Amino acid sequence: MKALIKKEFSLCLHPTAFVFLTFAALTFVPNYPYEVIFFFSGLSVFFISLSARENGDFAFTCSLPVKKRDVPLARIIVAATFQCALLLLTAVCIAIKQTLLPDEMRINLAGNSANLAFCGFGALVLGAFNLTFFPLHYRDPHKVGVPFVISSAVQFALIGCLVALRHLPFYAPLVSPDPANLGVKLAVLLGGLLFYAGMTACAAMLSMRKFEKAEL
Amino acid sequence: MTLRALEVENLKKVYPDFTLGGISFAVETGQIAGLIGRNGAGKSTTLKSIMRLISSEGTVKVFGKDFSEDEGAVKELLGYVGGGFRFYPNKTLSAVAKAVAGFYPHWDKEAFTRYCEEYALVLSKKVRELSEGMKIKFSLALALSHGAKLLLLDEPTSGLDPLSREDFCDTLLSLKRQGVTILFSTHITSDLMRVADQILYLSDGTLLADEPTAKLVKRYRVQTFASFEEAGAAHAMGVKGVKDGFEGLVAGTEEGREATLDEIMIHLEYAKKETA
Repeated sequence: MKALIKKEFSLCLHPTAFVFLTFAALTFVPNYPYEVIFFFSGLSVFFISLSARENGDFAFTCSLPVKKRDVPLARIIVAATFQCALLLLTAVCIAIKQTLLPDEMRINLAGNSANLAFCGFGALVLGAFNLTFFPLHYRDPHKVGVPFVISSAVQFALIGCLVALRHLPFYAPLVSPDPANLGVKLAVLLGGLLFYAGMTACAAMLSMRKFEKAEL
Repeated sequence: MTLRALEVENLKKVYPDFTLGGISFAVETGQIAGLIGRNGAGKSTTLKSIMRLISSEGTVKVFGKDFSEDEGAVKELLGYVGGGFRFYPNKTLSAVAKAVAGFYPHWDKEAFTRYCEEYALVLSKKVRELSEGMKIKFSLALALSHGAKLLLLDEPTSGLDPLSREDFCDTLLSLKRQGVTILFSTHITSDLMRVADQILYLSDGTLLADEPTAKLVKRYRVQTFASFEEAGAAHAMGVKGVKDGFEGLVAGTEEGREATLDEIMIHLEYAKKETA
């Protein structure tokens, strides 16, 4: 597995994987739908998968001394590493924003505010992407576009719901600046992270099973 | 008793428009086997099925180890080249080699350097900058540096000019002398006449012949006839029109000139078409 992950980094990684990490800084933009930050993470996974397909990566990797079912696992681990890094960077940006900026600049009128609960929402969006994109892609590794369109549709539907919910009165504690309503925000963060871990594990298991029967 | 390098049993793959029909064969250690057949006969399907790149039925054993039970260990003994080296065109040879080396505990760095020198491979070059012949050599250098005992090569000579093919055949013979077993598919049968000990002839997913090259070639002779009727009377197989009349395959004990693998393949395909 170690060699597979190293190979992912040395031969398959697309520069956008690093570039889109910097999009965590979008949380400093006033009144912006911050959830799209997590869509870009999915876009970098799409670019990695696309260039891997164009470079004949699957046939090459499967001819190396690895189990066929381990090939998707390595890619998902690498994608999850970048997603976790994005969540962490977003949390750092949020912490800086919450510490330095005045209250009126910490409340987002265009969507959810960049606070602790938002990181939980981000994890939710990323988990939903993983569960839709990877199993669809590894069912037929020659297809990258259709799985990406479907997973993006799921992501945007989820983002739309989160943005719409923001305008409902019961949702107010979740858009308040930190550290107000800390308990409920921490619960959302934890729930989001658990959902992400569960969905990513499911995505890995389904992808491994489907890739085993894939025609390369 | 020496282990067979490769044993394939009842390998079957069903596509909507093609079936690889449960073929079985073996390649002895240290031999070069050629897998021949027209385009679409099932050569690549066979090699991909052996490598489990596609899901198929049947068992594959490499030096006695079952592929499906011990996939990682079996692949350590293998070098597979699927139609040249078409992977990572924008990466340098050294980057690819470094990534590959990480998978093999017995990677021999010195051997890799030696093969690169022998094959005139410049490691700072990108894969896309290599000619087809050099790509094959790069694949071989990678395979041999991890001590592959069995090479599976899918159409390695297609796209090579005659001199490069000659060069490639020399390389195969040299590998054979080192004890490496090779199974390679091709439709350029003249290469096989030079190097192959064994011929596996596939036609429409069926194995029509599996025997030593010399025996297969001696099995048939080519006779020329003035008319189609005359060819029929002589029980010639796969009769077809040529410049000076008609030609067909007859038994090796009959009169006629020696048949090449190309001629055997062509006439057997004609014969099959006649009986269909």
